[in-house]
Amino acid sequence: MTTFTRANADHLRNTLQGAVVKCSERCLYQSAKWAAELSVSLPELPSAASSFGADTDSQMQDVDSLPISPAFNFANSDPEEARLETQELSRYLLAKSYFDCREYDRCSAVFIPSTLPKGPLSPTSPKNKSKTPTKTGQGEAKESDFIAGVESETHTNVLPKLSQKALFLALYSKYMSGEKRKNEESEMILGPADGGTTVNKELAGITRSLEGWFADREARGLSGSNQGWLEYLYGIVLAKGKTEEDARRWFVRSVHLYPFNWGAWLELSELLNNVEELQKIGPELPQNLMTLIFHLYASQELYQSTEPIHRELNELENIFPNSQFLKTQRALLYYHSKDFDEAEIIFSALLHADPHRIDSLDFYSNILYVMSARPKLAFLAQIATATDKFRPETCCVVGNYYALKSEHEKAVMYFRRALTLDRNFLSAWTLMGHEYVEMKNTHAAIESYRRAVDVNRKDYRAWYGLGQTYEVLEMHLYALFYYQRAASLRPYDPKMWQAVGSCYDKVDRPIQSIKAYKRALVAGSYYEQGSSFGSGTTAGDPTGVLDPETLYQIALMYEKLNRPDDAASYMGMTLAQEEGPENDDDDEGGGHGIGVTTTTSKARMWLARWEFGKGAYTRAMELANELCQDGVEVEEAKALIRDMRARMESGRSPS
Amino acid sequence: MSRYLTSSKVGLLALISLYTESVVPSVATIPILSFLVSQILPINSMIPRSDVSLHSRDITVTLNDIQRATIDHISGIPGRSVWDLLLNKLWKINSFDALHVFFDTLSLLLQKTQEQLQNEPEDGLETDSNLNRMLLSRTSPLGAFVRRAQLEFTRLQFHDGLTLWKSFVVYRAPTLPQWRKRNQTAGNTSFDIILQQEQLGIADRLTEAVYRELGTEASQEVGNSTEDVEKLLEYQVDQMQRMGNRLPKAMKMKLLDMIESGVTVPSLSHYVSFLDSWKAGDYPSSFDKLHRYFDYTMHNRDRTFYQYALLNLAILHQDFGCYSEAVVAMQETISTARENNDMGCLNYSLSWLYHFGKAHPEQIHKVQEKGVLGTDREALAFLKAKAKETSMWTLLSTSLLSEAKLSLSNGDGAAQAFESILKASHLNVTRNVANAIGSQMSMQSSIYGRLGVSCQAWLYGELFLQCYASPSPVEDVVHCICKSAFLLSQKGRYEDAVARMEEVDEETLQTLRYSQYWKSSLGLMKFRRYLHCDNLTAADHVLAQLRAPLNLSQDLQFNISMLEVDLLTRRGDYSKAMEMLEHFATKLEDEEADIYQRVKLMTLKAQIYDASGTPQKGFSVALRAASLAHRARLLPALWEAVGRIGAILISLKEFSATTKLLESIMPQVLECEDCNLSAHTFSLLADAHVGMAGQAKAEGLQRKEQLTKALEHIERSFDEFSRIEDVRGQCEIMAKKATIMHLNGDPVLANDCAARYRDVTRATINQV
Repeated sequence: MTTFTRANADHLRNTLQGAVVKCSERCLYQSAKWAAELSVSLPELPSAASSFGADTDSQMQDVDSLPISPAFNFANSDPEEARLETQELSRYLLAKSYFDCREYDRCSAVFIPSTLPKGPLSPTSPKNKSKTPTKTGQGEAKESDFIAGVESETHTNVLPKLSQKALFLALYSKYMSGEKRKNEESEMILGPADGGTTVNKELAGITRSLEGWFADREARGLSGSNQGWLEYLYGIVLAKGKTEEDARRWFVRSVHLYPFNWGAWLELSELLNNVEELQKIGPELPQNLMTLIFHLYASQELYQSTEPIHRELNELENIFPNSQFLKTQRALLYYHSKDFDEAEIIFSALLHADPHRIDSLDFYSNILYVMSARPKLAFLAQIATATDKFRPETCCVVGNYYALKSEHEKAVMYFRRALTLDRNFLSAWTLMGHEYVEMKNTHAAIESYRRAVDVNRKDYRAWYGLGQTYEVLEMHLYALFYYQRAASLRPYDPKMWQAVGSCYDKVDRPIQSIKAYKRALVAGSYYEQGSSFGSGTTAGDPTGVLDPETLYQIALMYEKLNRPDDAASYMGMTLAQEEGPENDDDDEGGGHGIGVTTTTSKARMWLARWEFGKGAYTRAMELANELCQDGVEVEEAKALIRDMRARMESGRSPS
Repeated sequence: MSRYLTSSKVGLLALISLYTESVVPSVATIPILSFLVSQILPINSMIPRSDVSLHSRDITVTLNDIQRATIDHISGIPGRSVWDLLLNKLWKINSFDALHVFFDTLSLLLQKTQEQLQNEPEDGLETDSNLNRMLLSRTSPLGAFVRRAQLEFTRLQFHDGLTLWKSFVVYRAPTLPQWRKRNQTAGNTSFDIILQQEQLGIADRLTEAVYRELGTEASQEVGNSTEDVEKLLEYQVDQMQRMGNRLPKAMKMKLLDMIESGVTVPSLSHYVSFLDSWKAGDYPSSFDKLHRYFDYTMHNRDRTFYQYALLNLAILHQDFGCYSEAVVAMQETISTARENNDMGCLNYSLSWLYHFGKAHPEQIHKVQEKGVLGTDREALAFLKAKAKETSMWTLLSTSLLSEAKLSLSNGDGAAQAFESILKASHLNVTRNVANAIGSQMSMQSSIYGRLGVSCQAWLYGELFLQCYASPSPVEDVVHCICKSAFLLSQKGRYEDAVARMEEVDEETLQTLRYSQYWKSSLGLMKFRRYLHCDNLTAADHVLAQLRAPLNLSQDLQFNISMLEVDLLTRRGDYSKAMEMLEHFATKLEDEEADIYQRVKLMTLKAQIYDASGTPQKGFSVALRAASLAHRARLLPALWEAVGRIGAILISLKEFSATTKLLESIMPQVLECEDCNLSAHTFSLLADAHVGMAGQAKAEGLQRKEQLTKALEHIERSFDEFSRIEDVRGQCEIMAKKATIMHLNGDPVLANDCAARYRDVTRATINQV
């Protein structure tokens, strides 16, 4: 995409517009919104060409007339599909309007008479049946049907003959109705029925239908003309059933068949647990623009705010100069690298450009929370409330505001409201956990964090929070596990490693503890070099200075290990941080020391005693005097001085 | 509509916090404090002080009010008025967050509770820095207000808080020019610091998204909180129930506006509209609204209020003349009240039932059979005991008055009645039962009227109207005005009487019952006047109008019937008049009627016999009337009856006895100030004298003397008749005079008299 021309832009615009139409035809509203936003963010059209794009309406045939790149030109050039679609047009319109009115059951009943799919899937216990066929079915789906369709009765196609569009809509609405019912049955947030016990009861039926359908297509040799939507739906169902490997494969298949369905990419990125997996899946993906965007998004989700990612983002922004999505991604990248000022500027600009945009405002509110910008946070909450007070994002913003005001009960109320609106709203779970920690309700906190982690296993804050909560409960081994998870998600965040270190300390494994602390030091210095705007927002590690607390802890660990020399050297390093990096010969641009803190004073005291123990009275005296000057632990220092004087006197008099 | 907090309350809070900062000098303390207190304290506690402050007071304080109260006071900071400081304080609330901070810091104004003091004993440093600040006691009016406001603010949901903030921005906006004068940097967007920081204009898209309602009409009104409206409604209900009048039109519009502007309508508003339509005499809609009110109230106050619903229902039924239903409802009320042990309600219902029985004796029989109340006397004694038990002074006072009334109507003598009245009066004074004083005074006035001391009766009426009109129910006021107008008309001062009637203000007459009473009284006066003027056709018309309203009070109905009899007599239709009287008399026999009415009937009967030329027939009736009236100390009626006896005596040619009798009552008759009565008595006296002259020797001195006396009395009688414009009386007297003149052999003077006779008749004909 390095040579991106106007013609390319026009072509891309048309494709995106086609994607909008297709997504909204299938009631994938969010994906449609995403594609539409992206298409608008392309550089301006010359006015002549605009009429062309405006022609597109809901008819598939019209969409087909758009020039689509040959790679995915199979869409509805398939005459069979086109014929079916024209046949069922009126029924399709009926179903779509039902879906738009949220009458999901009615919608699916338009195409799939309720008796038909229910026949094979009226299982006595839907749970194990939903699991077993999917698990066994996946691997053999292709082979078994190649060999013989008789092998498993589940794979017979029970679906009526429909176009793929209609089929997708019918099954998707079935899925939605199941989700709706599941939500209703879950009742109150954190209530007894909330949690893993309630499942989407439609999943089993959808799985079977789809398996049968795929098998049927395969058998008839038509799988080449699949459109990708049903694969996407199948992927979702599989992901819900926690068969992630297969789900991933189906998503990849789906994006191969139709890459402009952003939903599929989103689901795919959610299935990636770490960077390695992202790299592994890279070659399997199609080579196009969407893959680039996906890669960027997935990296952002995995907290990879590195230079190459920024470069990727720059390239994409060349193509879509006005994309709010990309701008948000950049802000989030800055946010992940703790560059809050920069992120704040971007978010603020976004807000100015579109005051009614609520998407990802919760991140903005997190940023403002960290910056303690209360008036601004209140204003943000005001904006969000003015647009829609019943959006989970809005509730999160308001909750954050109350959290900043230390009104934890109210904050929890708003987070709960956010979760009532959307149970899968990740940040609300995590933030609610934080609030419960503040309210000393550890059980609720643990449950909230757990739910957050269940929703998204990449949320290091939730892992960290879990660790903290268990630490409060003095269950350090548990805490250690969770801290490790957090640290693995954020390997370059010193806070995580410090936590790991202190946990190792608590469970009496000083060697590991030292390792973890050292890792924290490395991570700290990594960030100094990594981010181009040496921001000093995180407390305790200004430019070029090693965190004295960590150093001090390492020293204490060495002391525990009976390696006093090492301890002393680390204590010395702690002290050195007072003066700043000029001692370290670091060229980080004139960094200042952190000055005298309690930690350094403690280190100094330790050193003084150590020197005293060694008999180096002059050095010890010097340190003790410094302590007296700094006015920290004066009494102890004075006692030490007196003691030393006495000894020096006594040492001198006999000599 | 918010529950409690409004932007005007934020303004008051700012002023309070300014007050505690010790920048208000001691000179200004009292005015500012009294301003604050007048806004904060509940409305009811304001009433006794002065009506003016109540009228001038709006339900919400505008910034203008605050400015007026503060701008004249120099503050402790040189060169600044208190208003300047307040402006500064208000404009420093420059973001929604700042509003939060403002409310959070309110707790610094208050004294710390014991707990707080214990929890932070080492806070010595901080309190030192706040030395200049005075702390409000937590239970003082200001302290309570501050605490309530703070509590309500914490209870607000986020978007409710936002609404408050926006309305506050609107509320403060008019002071922007003043603020700019004091602070040059202030601009259009300085109401929100964020807008200023981000350099957004007022027309910016973001600003518009956030403050989109600011420019529009809807936001212009300063919001009222539910609490404000509820307070207002409570005040209205209180006024309406105590005074018994309707909502003034302007107030009605205002209330409607307020209620429409808010989403949450307090259920009390249904009650207000019920009362209003009740007083307007709109039976179906008041019925409907009463039910609506109780339906809406049921869920938040439980069934303990059921009896009040029934009570209201009974009163409603009674007001619209559905007596049997009213009795049923009231019996239900009584039993429910007994069940729920609600003494107040029970006593009230019993007393209501008693009064109802007095007004509609035919309805109450069934109840009496069941023994709910027993006889009147027992009922009253029971009520009195109950009232004393539960210290319901108003009820006790009214029971005492009822007792007085009962003893009057039974003819038990005035002393007992006076005793009861004095007891009631003592109670009213010692227990400060201000709204019962009115009925007590009118009772007193009527007792004096019965004793024939008109000037006292008049005096008490005047006293009541002058001193106690405002705290008394409107009904009492209307009755008193009508009564004093009646007294005026008795004296022949018709114009004055009409003017007095006009004193009833228009708002009062919007209530159906009062307007009926008032109209009937006015009609009666007119009717009487037309009768006197011998304008019988007009009198007929008035009579037809008087008969129209269905449920007039018994007094009025009796008066109307009596005048009707009078009309018939004047027409000369004696038989019909007699028939009517008889009919009435039997009706009165059935019920235990007021003794006054019975006496009146008897005298009227005697009068008809007299008019029909058979005065002796009425002798026994007249005598019985006289003795009854004498026993009951119904002096005006007694004099009238004595007059009748005199007439009979005259017809029996017992002239000297008649003169003696009449001359002995004459002073008291004059005391009654009833022109009609005195005119008739004078004329009778003249007749007696003429009779005595006839018995004397012709041309003798005695005859001359008697004739002169007769002439004298005739003159007086004529004067009295002409005062009440009674044409027939005047004519009759003139004819008598002319006859005497003729007898005296003075044809010129007789001619004169004849001429005057003609003048009078002509004048009336012209008038007609």
